[in-house]
Amino acid sequence: MSKTANTLPGNRKRPSPGRSRSPVGRIHPVVIYPIVQPRDYSDLQALYQLVRRLAADKSRYARPITVLDRKTHYAMRGDKAFLDFRRHTVSRCSEVLDVWAVDTCQMWYSGLGAAYERGGERDVYWLIPGDFNYGTKVGRQVLNRLHDLPEIILELDQDLCIGEIATDHNNPKQLIDTYGTFGLLYTWFPAEAQEIRQYTERPRSEFLAVRHGFLGEALCQRWYPYEQTMVMLLQAIFGNKGITRFFVGDISDLPEGKESLASAMQQVERTERVLKTVWRERHQGDADWIERYRELAGASGQVRYTAISILRNLLA
Amino acid sequence: MRAFAYQKPLRAINFICHAPEAKTVSLVGDFNEWNPAALPMKQMPDRSWLLTVELKHGHHRYAFLVDGVLTLDPSAQGITRNDKGERVCLVPVS
Repeated sequence: MSKTANTLPGNRKRPSPGRSRSPVGRIHPVVIYPIVQPRDYSDLQALYQLVRRLAADKSRYARPITVLDRKTHYAMRGDKAFLDFRRHTVSRCSEVLDVWAVDTCQMWYSGLGAAYERGGERDVYWLIPGDFNYGTKVGRQVLNRLHDLPEIILELDQDLCIGEIATDHNNPKQLIDTYGTFGLLYTWFPAEAQEIRQYTERPRSEFLAVRHGFLGEALCQRWYPYEQTMVMLLQAIFGNKGITRFFVGDISDLPEGKESLASAMQQVERTERVLKTVWRERHQGDADWIERYRELAGASGQVRYTAISILRNLLA
Repeated sequence: MRAFAYQKPLRAINFICHAPEAKTVSLVGDFNEWNPAALPMKQMPDRSWLLTVELKHGHHRYAFLVDGVLTLDPSAQGITRNDKGERVCLVPVS
């Protein structure tokens, strides 16, 4: 297939889309700072080199926002390296949004919400997770591709662009999605699950970009405290929005992010909880919804039990 | 940093379709208004189909028409839909 050379965002010429109906939207980068501060700053250094370039390109990018959990702040209180990194690197190229958050998805909510309030109708919001190995050779290649996500929204007039990373079949996240996420999605939303799978194998990806209008809709609906990407994918399909999946490269979580069996179980349980809630909210006006819900809940419990059994065999 | 510029540089992109039994394969996309006759591909000695096209900077939607059937590129970097709602591929050109 086609080969392209990637150039660094901020160092490249502005795309001149042929099909865009939104010629001059601005891009709002929102960085989710790792909750657990890694010992080695090399990955974050690489990430903030990108953020610095984005901040310098004021015609194209709004000032980036870094969302930092107060728990991280207090855990690192008195740590000179952390305080210096925050002061001399993070704060210089982004606005730090200090939040108390129960979960990463609440950090997304705070960051995307803050950016949304500064944005306009043509703008795009670009979520960048902070806890990936950007400092490695492969990680830097991914960093050079991430800018495609918001650009695709602008150029092709899309509403949601999901960045997909390559993982091997034994990667814990892949296992969770294969045996847990999709099993549960097919149970609660079979038609939508098929549609989602036509786009991506990673419906819980943390790499995404979203258009102003669709983000506004998502923000004003219930914001679930976990698996928000999956919820946004469902909302996009319910609303017949434009969805694109784009491959951003091979990358793995930092060691701090590796999945234990307990973490995998928690993710499957959370996915089920979210899907139950979304289903109820969509069907609670139907006459027979309680009977249908009970039936689906029974099937869902079996899927969850099977998924956890498989994950126990594979991850324990 | 380079200055902002409304330039549309062209870049040669190779499209390869593995359809050894096909009688005709063409490339369709935003760049040729999805015209099935505009960009016929040529069969190579290994029976795959090749076409090199110069594309402007940006992201382009495309697909292969294999004996008239819209076919996705398994090695595409992205998946989206065209204006008819059909699933098609995405190629970034930078």
